[in-house]
Amino acid sequence: MNIKIRNTLTEIISASIAIIWMYSKLNAAANMSIASITQVLVQGIGISILAAIFFAIVIAIVSAIITKSEEKNVVDERDNMIEFYAWRLSGVIFGISLVIILALLGWFNLPINLGIIAITFSVFLASICSTFLKIYLYR
Amino acid sequence: MIKKKIHIENAVRKLRFNNDEMTQQGLAELVGVSRQTIVAIEKYKYTPSLDLAFKIALAFDREIQEVFFIN
Repeated sequence: MNIKIRNTLTEIISASIAIIWMYSKLNAAANMSIASITQVLVQGIGISILAAIFFAIVIAIVSAIITKSEEKNVVDERDNMIEFYAWRLSGVIFGISLVIILALLGWFNLPINLGIIAITFSVFLASICSTFLKIYLYR
Repeated sequence: MIKKKIHIENAVRKLRFNNDEMTQQGLAELVGVSRQTIVAIEKYKYTPSLDLAFKIALAFDREIQEVFFIN
């Protein structure tokens, strides 16, 4: 498997695991204190980082065993361009999400707890969308 | 002002075969990019920068307009 697609798959898997874990912990978010919500969110971000490291190692080992060769990770101008597009997309998605979240918070007078959760989830959503764009461009 | 969209084509694939059937990996290592970038260039999915275009032309010992051209 192409090393770039491998890396983007790792990003998607780790972000998905963190989202699922945080979602399971934030069932009664409206009744939770801000301290406990931020604790869960910070733990979720930590889990996504650890999952990314773990899956990067596991997928690299599995790929090396299957292909019986080690692929060099050469970063060139096309990779930089794709990375730039992905960053731009994630920035746009996060920006739009932030505006929508703030508007909804003000419009429906929702608790700030939900706002913090929604902003964190929009970061992960932006990350997942940008990795899908990378897979599309690397295909 | 030229408003017409320019479609740049190339003869990289042909030149590789004319150069002792050079592999995509071989050319990629020669010009310092990944094999996937050479694949994308050959399929006209990616137009390289001027810098890379010159490196590819130099790798085949050709003028840049012999490698990259407007059809």
